[in-house]
Amino acid sequence: MILLQSKPLETVEDACTRLQTAVELEFSTLPPYLYAKFSILPGANDRSASYLGDIVGQEMIHMCLACNIMNALGGDPKLVTPGTNPPFPPVFPGGLPGDIGPPGGEPIIVGLLCFSEAAAAQGMAIEQPVNPILFAAEGAPADDQTETIAQFYEKLDAFLSTLDPACWQKDRNQIDDSQYFTGQLYPINSYEDAHRAISQIISEGEGSTQSPLDFQNEVSHYYRFKEMFQNQVLTKSPNPPGYQWGPEAFGVDWNAVYPAIDNPTQHDFSQENPAARAAQAACNLAYSRLIDSLQLAVTGHQGQLGAAVRAMFELRKAAMAALTTPLNDGRVAGPSFLYTPTTGASS
Amino acid sequence: MSVLETPRIVFRGNIAWDPIVTNNYFGLYDENSAETVLPHADDTWAQVQAFRAEAIDAVPPDPKKANQRNWDPQGTHRSVFYDLAAPDSASPDSAITDSAVSGVDLGSGTTADDPFVGAPARFSGKLVDLEPYGSYSSQLFFDTMTFGIDGGCRIAAKRRTRVTARYINLGRNPVFYIAGFASIVWQTSFLIEDLIVDAFDSPALQALQSALGQPGVIGLTVRWVNYRTVYYDCPELATDIALRTTTAQALVAKLRLNDAAGNGVWQPNPARSKMVGVIGLWREGEPLHEPGDRALLATSFPTQGPANPPCVATAFARLDGDSLTLDLGSSMPETGLDLTKQNWGPLEVVALDSSKPGGSVSLATIGYDEDTDPGCQAYYARPYYEADSGIVSLKVDGSSFSPDAPLQVSCPTGILLTEAPFRAVPLVPNLYLDETDSAEGIFQIYVNGVPGGGGTEVTVYGLDANDAVVSGPTAVTAGPDGRFAVDLPASPASVVSHVPLIGAGQPAPSGGLNPQVDTYMYVRRLPADAAVAALDPTWDNVYTRVLANWNAMAPCMDNWLDLHDPDQVRASAPAIKYLTDPANLEAFSYMPVTRDMTAGERTLLYKFLDSPSPGAAVNLGSEGPANRPATDRIRISRYMRSP
Repeated sequence: MILLQSKPLETVEDACTRLQTAVELEFSTLPPYLYAKFSILPGANDRSASYLGDIVGQEMIHMCLACNIMNALGGDPKLVTPGTNPPFPPVFPGGLPGDIGPPGGEPIIVGLLCFSEAAAAQGMAIEQPVNPILFAAEGAPADDQTETIAQFYEKLDAFLSTLDPACWQKDRNQIDDSQYFTGQLYPINSYEDAHRAISQIISEGEGSTQSPLDFQNEVSHYYRFKEMFQNQVLTKSPNPPGYQWGPEAFGVDWNAVYPAIDNPTQHDFSQENPAARAAQAACNLAYSRLIDSLQLAVTGHQGQLGAAVRAMFELRKAAMAALTTPLNDGRVAGPSFLYTPTTGASS
Repeated sequence: MSVLETPRIVFRGNIAWDPIVTNNYFGLYDENSAETVLPHADDTWAQVQAFRAEAIDAVPPDPKKANQRNWDPQGTHRSVFYDLAAPDSASPDSAITDSAVSGVDLGSGTTADDPFVGAPARFSGKLVDLEPYGSYSSQLFFDTMTFGIDGGCRIAAKRRTRVTARYINLGRNPVFYIAGFASIVWQTSFLIEDLIVDAFDSPALQALQSALGQPGVIGLTVRWVNYRTVYYDCPELATDIALRTTTAQALVAKLRLNDAAGNGVWQPNPARSKMVGVIGLWREGEPLHEPGDRALLATSFPTQGPANPPCVATAFARLDGDSLTLDLGSSMPETGLDLTKQNWGPLEVVALDSSKPGGSVSLATIGYDEDTDPGCQAYYARPYYEADSGIVSLKVDGSSFSPDAPLQVSCPTGILLTEAPFRAVPLVPNLYLDETDSAEGIFQIYVNGVPGGGGTEVTVYGLDANDAVVSGPTAVTAGPDGRFAVDLPASPASVVSHVPLIGAGQPAPSGGLNPQVDTYMYVRRLPADAAVAALDPTWDNVYTRVLANWNAMAPCMDNWLDLHDPDQVRASAPAIKYLTDPANLEAFSYMPVTRDMTAGERTLLYKFLDSPSPGAAVNLGSEGPANRPATDRIRISRYMRSP
């Protein structure tokens, strides 16, 4: 479970600081989720691949909505924050921005893991609510009260509700759904808009305390990962709380993945063949272009979102090339998601 | 028939449209040769770049006409049901936010108290017009459609055939931009063996499961109507002419972010519509692609502009003893942006029974709403429309009139709809052929919505894209089963709509094809391109004569495969062959999405793909690490299209 440090929340500047954390956190989930998705062999694990794609899309939406809230309050979202610890953009394996772990404990170390039980468990850990709903066929006690991503957002929401309406700057650097994420991205011009966005983010990540479904009656992220982990479909049940695990199998085949190494950032590519090195370089270049274009897009250059999406497709193509380019030992490596500033961000 | 029976399930929501429309323009695409019209340049790649730039140049409205032009040069053709996380600014009081099941009718009227209500509706298709220059041959190619989620109440359906558009209503709403004034009836059907129905505690799904076991029931039909289409996400374009130019210029600026041809960015511009729909039984003999129910045809049509004058569009009906069901989903026009329905006063439904005094029997009255027309059995104002998808259930005295008596709907000022008892519906609505193919187009006569009409005489005309008669009149007579065939002999590349008119010696349709009145079958013939097939399979030939067409027309393909990169093309050979295989024509991922690759082009392309490779730089498909399981074409296909 991600546990964020509670910080003062008394001014608009405090809110923007928290929103920057939200932006970093939402963005930082993308590389591990994408790595798991990319590593699935073509045509295998269809259900998991589809759901991972949905989750990645929703995390992108969450990040953009957090940027919209921040922009509406006069802040300037940053997708590159040099010198922070942990670094942002993140380097994997590593901690997620803002996560401090439980009292006396350690934050979660998130890695770039191939599609596996460990990757599903990692997704659950990132998305876990305070009190996951217990369904038939499991009996572990609920966790005690701690601050999760949802609580982080709820506290933010509570503070935003106290702001003077004049704090909200209409149409400042907003990204809407006119081109991408139809229906799901919208401008934030008021507290009501921000509240809707925060409710959406919480709902899609964790569901509610009563239901595993989000506000659109789809299974929320935590339970999606748990379906993969347990290889059981969360199924409607006549017994409280209304769902149970199985009996239908989710259809996971943990072996139907590329023979990819985990955490390619820890691999010494300088000793690899030129094709493998070139494949990694192509991945990192596309990833870096994605970030640089996104940075422009969330600071008032809307057209740059089109460049960022194109970079996302380039990253996908580069990742597929990397995953079919053997390393010296016959295994392969997915993208390392290493950022270096590009000079080619569209302008 | 079918969807007007009970049990039925209604849904509503939103659908987005993202088609490339560059091929809608004569100067940019030749429909008969199926070729992109590339401008002059030094080489093919330069031509492609110049074409892309021209396509972007064509985005802003003509300043003299303030009309729409090429509004989505980087579209993907994708059409999806989507949810609105925030209220729709175009209709702030809209009840329609999510795309979801909205009600069920088990025979006692539409209710929302079934556990299935609220289940998300999910659909992703690709919008392609068989006849790119027209508006009446739209199709949605897809693989699956689902209502509900895995593990919950759901209907999951695998495609049997594409979704087909018919009964285009060009007068639905008077104040929208581009084609936003129209509504369209979409329909497809699914065989029982391609369905999963998980009922759980849903009485509606339990009833549907039971009904699927009835004799003669072969599956489910899904029909929906889309309306109120907004472009550039800006409903104000309907009335603000200056805004049309500025929004288009803003899109052009995005498209040109990197260069004049739009390289290095992806800037789709999806339009979006409201929709209401229905799921019901598909019985043997019923058309899978368009309503076969009793057709109550429109009696007047807009002549001055969209919905000017406002007119009521064609509806469909089913009579079961004392139960009369009307599908007004596409029929009742709105007054404007807020989707208020035009008030025509109370609508009287009558049966034209000449054996009865006065020649007709009044069956029921449909009011506008309960305030203005209290005491009516049903209503057609917006809230009612959105609750029951425009499907009106009426109790009538079935013994008071002949069930064959034509139905009519009138308002205080006149007749709005009149039943055409005989209809000739093609078994295949839109057909792709090569110019060397000979085929038959089979039509089925329906009499009062039921297959029949043996011996009926029919006159058939063939019309081209400009509504000029290119074949006919051809006289045919339906066989004992009510079917007749239209010969489709080998002929040069063309697009022809074959229009059957009931009766011998009928004149050609005045004013051309009227989709509100006429049934029709579109046939598109592609050139054989034998000369192209005979070319040497060099990269230059393949790119110039084959791939450049779509490299120019569909910049979104850059997201998946660089058609100008011989290494990528060759490395993707298995996937390309699978995706361009005519056997996969119905598939969501078929390439080219516009279904206009000729046999000769395919032959040349395959010769290239099968030729010895000088060495591919990137392997995307058939080979991989030593311990990677063997892939098949399906896997590669999915790999190509998965985001």
